[in-house]
Amino acid sequence: MFRLQGSKVLAVDMTGDAVKAKNGSMVAYDGQMDFKKMSGGGEGIRGMVTRRLTGEQMTVMEVKGHGTCWFADRASEINLVSLQGDKLYVESSNLLATDAGLRTGTSFTGLRGASQGNGLFTTTVEGHGQAAIVSDGPAVVLRVSSQYPLTVDPGAYVAHQGNLRQSLQSGVTFRTLMGEGGGEAFQIRFEGDGLVYVQPSERNTIAGDV
Amino acid sequence: MSTPYGTPGGPAVFDPATLPSDDNVNAYTFCVELKGSQWFLQKGKMIAYYGSMEFNGIGHGRLDRLVRTSFHSPLHASDWVVAEGSGKMLLADRAFDVNSYDLEDGNLTIRSGNLLAFQPSLALKQSIVPGFLTLIGTGKFVAASNGPVVFMEPPIRVDPQALVGWADCPSPCHHYDHGYMTGVMGGLRALTGLGGASGEEHQFEFVGAGTVLLQSTEALMAEQATGAVPQQAGVPGGGGPHTGPSQQGGAPRLPGQLGDLQRRFGL
Repeated sequence: MFRLQGSKVLAVDMTGDAVKAKNGSMVAYDGQMDFKKMSGGGEGIRGMVTRRLTGEQMTVMEVKGHGTCWFADRASEINLVSLQGDKLYVESSNLLATDAGLRTGTSFTGLRGASQGNGLFTTTVEGHGQAAIVSDGPAVVLRVSSQYPLTVDPGAYVAHQGNLRQSLQSGVTFRTLMGEGGGEAFQIRFEGDGLVYVQPSERNTIAGDV
Repeated sequence: MSTPYGTPGGPAVFDPATLPSDDNVNAYTFCVELKGSQWFLQKGKMIAYYGSMEFNGIGHGRLDRLVRTSFHSPLHASDWVVAEGSGKMLLADRAFDVNSYDLEDGNLTIRSGNLLAFQPSLALKQSIVPGFLTLIGTGKFVAASNGPVVFMEPPIRVDPQALVGWADCPSPCHHYDHGYMTGVMGGLRALTGLGGASGEEHQFEFVGAGTVLLQSTEALMAEQATGAVPQQAGVPGGGGPHTGPSQQGGAPRLPGQLGDLQRRFGL
């Protein structure tokens, strides 16, 4: 059972079950806990090789036991996401912890990933359970439905879930090349049905200043 | 609501109907509603939007008229864009606190890096204080600060790093504690840091009627270039011809530096 203690610490109550968490993110526990490093994200040899190749490495540990375990990551804000059979797409660096029952994998993001500056691949989390994602500042959750498509700055995008199509919009014109661009040269447009998590801060992206 | 995704009791999920209009979503995110109207914003501070919007650099030909009436420092125009269209737009800045302020036929001077966005009914001008911008008129603007903003009434002396801006023209000036300045030992102490400088000897002093805005940390936000001022005599920071023998060099000098000691000895 995931719960937030304050906005920057995740508390997980466990009764013999397990969670997967970012390596080294445990800050405290009481009760009896076992920590086991899972190389390659715990997806077997194939998953490990895929992660190496795609640059979406995550070092994950499995925490198992009875009691409460607290997790935190560099005082980042933590957001809880509950999944009911749908898929969460999140950058591996933003994923803090997942229920053991959730499957993780990698997927191709294409140009969106490139415009964010974190590579062409992203991590997926799938199944029934809870996941915790971290963001720089509390994330704003925005709903996308068929009548309300959403456009997001790649630097502020954290994660999305549901059945969404994304496309990269480019506002690059000859003005951009002349240094008179609109400052928002690349945008990701989400259409379909689902939720998008954005953080109130922008990562440095290759298109950050155009 | 029987929409899929998002859990009852979980984090609030926003859509265009539930997002506030021209108000804060949380302490770090501000939502602007555009209905065919325009807003000026600093480059790259938009994080997401619903609806259809266009972002154009200030140099865009079609915006010439708007820029002429509400944007008076063409020299740093490349840092600003105009958002135009209809929909709701979220603004944020490096997870700093953001707040909106209403000006009614007033004026407000703000540190250039703190200003995020403003309505075109306000006119933006360079302040004669280097690194600051002044907004004049009626309308709303959005500013970021490192920690929440506190409002103070003059007369007040404030720490230079905590100053965000001031409204309704109190007159700002430098204030140095007297003991810091006296004698050779005072100068040496300031120069070397030996012998106990408290780090609070230099303040900004505000007198007159108005409001002073302070942020609650002394960590400054990154400066935004305000553009160069014309190179004329008498323009502060303009680097124009010197008007007297006491103004040497363009760089501001701290009190207690050797130059002051030399002057004190009449050298």
